[in-house]
Amino acid sequence: MSEMKQDVILSVKDLVVKFNLRGQVLTAIRGISMDLHKGESLAIVGESGSGKSVFCKTFMGLLDNNGWVDSGSIEYAGQDLATFKKEKEWLHIRGKKIAMVFQDPMTSLNPLKPVGKQIQEAFTLHNKVSAAEAKKRTLELLADVGIPEPERRYKQYPHEFSGGMRQRVVIAIAMACVPEILICDEPTTALDVTIQAQILELLKALQRKYGLTIIYITHDLGVVANVADRIAVMYAGDIVEIGSCDEVFYDPKHPYTWALLSSLPQLGVKGEDLYSIQGTPPNLFHEIHGDAFAPRNPRALKVDFVARPPYFEVSPTHKARTWLLDPRSPSVEPPEHIKNIRNIRKLKKEDAVNEQITR
Amino acid sequence: MITMFLVLSIVFMLMRLLPVDTYFGGRSDSMSDTVKDNILKQLGLFDPWYVQLGNFWKNLLFHGDLGESIVIQQGVKCVDLIIPKAKWSFQFGAIAMVFQMLIGYSMGVLMARWKGKFFDSLGNLYILLINALPAAVYFLFIQLYLSKVLHLPMFFEPYNTASRILPIICLSLGGIASNAMWMRRYMVDQMNLDYIRLARAKGMTSSQVAFRHVMRNAFIPMAQSLPTTLLFTISGSLYVESLFSIPGMGGLLITSIQRQDNTMVQAMVLLYSAISVVGLLLGDIMMMVCDPRISLVKKGGSR
Ligand SMILES: Nc1ncnc2c1ncn2[C@@H]1O[C@H](COP(=O)(O)OP(=O)(O)O)[C@@H](O)[C@H]1O
Ligand SMILES: [Mg+2]
Repeated sequence: MSEMKQDVILSVKDLVVKFNLRGQVLTAIRGISMDLHKGESLAIVGESGSGKSVFCKTFMGLLDNNGWVDSGSIEYAGQDLATFKKEKEWLHIRGKKIAMVFQDPMTSLNPLKPVGKQIQEAFTLHNKVSAAEAKKRTLELLADVGIPEPERRYKQYPHEFSGGMRQRVVIAIAMACVPEILICDEPTTALDVTIQAQILELLKALQRKYGLTIIYITHDLGVVANVADRIAVMYAGDIVEIGSCDEVFYDPKHPYTWALLSSLPQLGVKGEDLYSIQGTPPNLFHEIHGDAFAPRNPRALKVDFVARPPYFEVSPTHKARTWLLDPRSPSVEPPEHIKNIRNIRKLKKEDAVNEQITR
Repeated sequence: MITMFLVLSIVFMLMRLLPVDTYFGGRSDSMSDTVKDNILKQLGLFDPWYVQLGNFWKNLLFHGDLGESIVIQQGVKCVDLIIPKAKWSFQFGAIAMVFQMLIGYSMGVLMARWKGKFFDSLGNLYILLINALPAAVYFLFIQLYLSKVLHLPMFFEPYNTASRILPIICLSLGGIASNAMWMRRYMVDQMNLDYIRLARAKGMTSSQVAFRHVMRNAFIPMAQSLPTTLLFTISGSLYVESLFSIPGMGGLLITSIQRQDNTMVQAMVLLYSAISVVGLLLGDIMMMVCDPRISLVKKGGSR
């Protein structure tokens, strides 16, 4: 996709997030370090419960009340967001600089307020303008996100919109102040397949128009392949592998990434059961030793159970936390079908091109 | 409207099943059977039921007439007996209702806004006390002690405004507690919903979220029961009225029953059932006004 831009817009260092659940402490994010580049789209993938949402919520101070940033830093625009304590400090970030699109458009709008008012509200919170001007801007936004007849739609309530249209409204709310970073937490999971593609197209168009930096949170690798410049693979509160889209798809290094890719339906052989990862994710209430994925990895090394692997660089843009990349480790080949992904992805790309032509 | 018609008709028919003795105003021993038959005939009680029912509705609808009192004030129209009493009940009830809503709702909002903090605990203590203690206990307490402490009259005197303060306090306490409790509960429910997260993600302060989004949405489930509560509050409280000797409707119902004034009982039961039916109807209308998702006339949904 686009060429690599190396301007770092947000930089996370050794972030640890904990929750207190009925007196017990749970570590949801276990020391993540990551840079977000200006103008890129980064996909965060991982199974449900791996901490994708929690990780991104820390960028907006939206953790639930029982959670806190235990250590680490989040550098953004010369400030450390991890030190923010009071609501007041967050107000000039939330919605203005960093905005969020949530998963379920059916429940993320207030059912009792006209949608126009809900969008306008996001705008007037951060901009002191007259009501007429705010309305004008709202109508522009509605048109911007592809909602026909903005004048009429402005006055309507969420229940008068379909799921896809509601998600467009939620996106309009997020775009109200033209944020620098847009976090999309499973933006299409709740929608039909055809609508999904439209919403992703819309997000891409907005990104081009406004130079947004987008984080896509998803567990759907199909979505990722379509939109992401880079992919971060999360497992049990840690990023186990990060690299450009091609690197992670063509040349995955972490056994968990292999497992994730293996469970893609596109990889399934007709007549055989779809691959699914054995076992369950680790219990986050206990301290995790070694590689968190080792207990579920049939080909785990001994060292995986003892010491936590550091990041090994595969290329300047690609790194993974696995002992397999240590020069001393025996060579373990990825499963055969992972190697076939290249072909499948080629086909997919051709499909996408054909689709574009036929449209 | 149909419900109302049915309820009133059924009440009327049930009243007809009562023993006829009650229609002679406690003098049945000294009357001969022919006299009794005459009275009953005059009242139209020998007519077939549908004629009776028809007459009842005709009188009610065209003359606003609910019959004459038999015992309490013989020959006086029930309506004329009820109205002056109703005026007092209405006055007290309306004022109490205003306090219940103003204080109760604001209390609930503040409790939800600072959930788990000092004010919330204080409010919960109040709600708990009001619900746990029998009303009689704190009513008596207010009447006996508060009147001394604040130097207010213990009983109601029509021309003394100060004498209204204590009864109004008594009438309001329970409503304040339940309004606060429900408001708090509904608001806390709302606060856990997704759209609140989105509102916060927009950059709203918790207060802005509470007042611009949560409060109104939490009010909706209460809007439905509001008219019924309103009507019942203004239709008088049996206990408070008798405690402070207020000449209201509550007392009238008791007297009518005790003294077996059939037409009066009938009139009052009709009144109360009408109140509940109208309350329910108004409740539905309230919901419709407040909640855009509900409409009686189905508009063509645009998807
Ligand atoms: N408010 C909370 N209290 C306790 N645990 C939480 C809370 N929110 C999230 N968690 C835990 O943090 C982990 C990551 O959750 P989440 O970020 O929602 O996962 P996902 O990757 O599906 O978005 C989960 O194990 C979850 O149980
Ligand atoms: Mg999630």
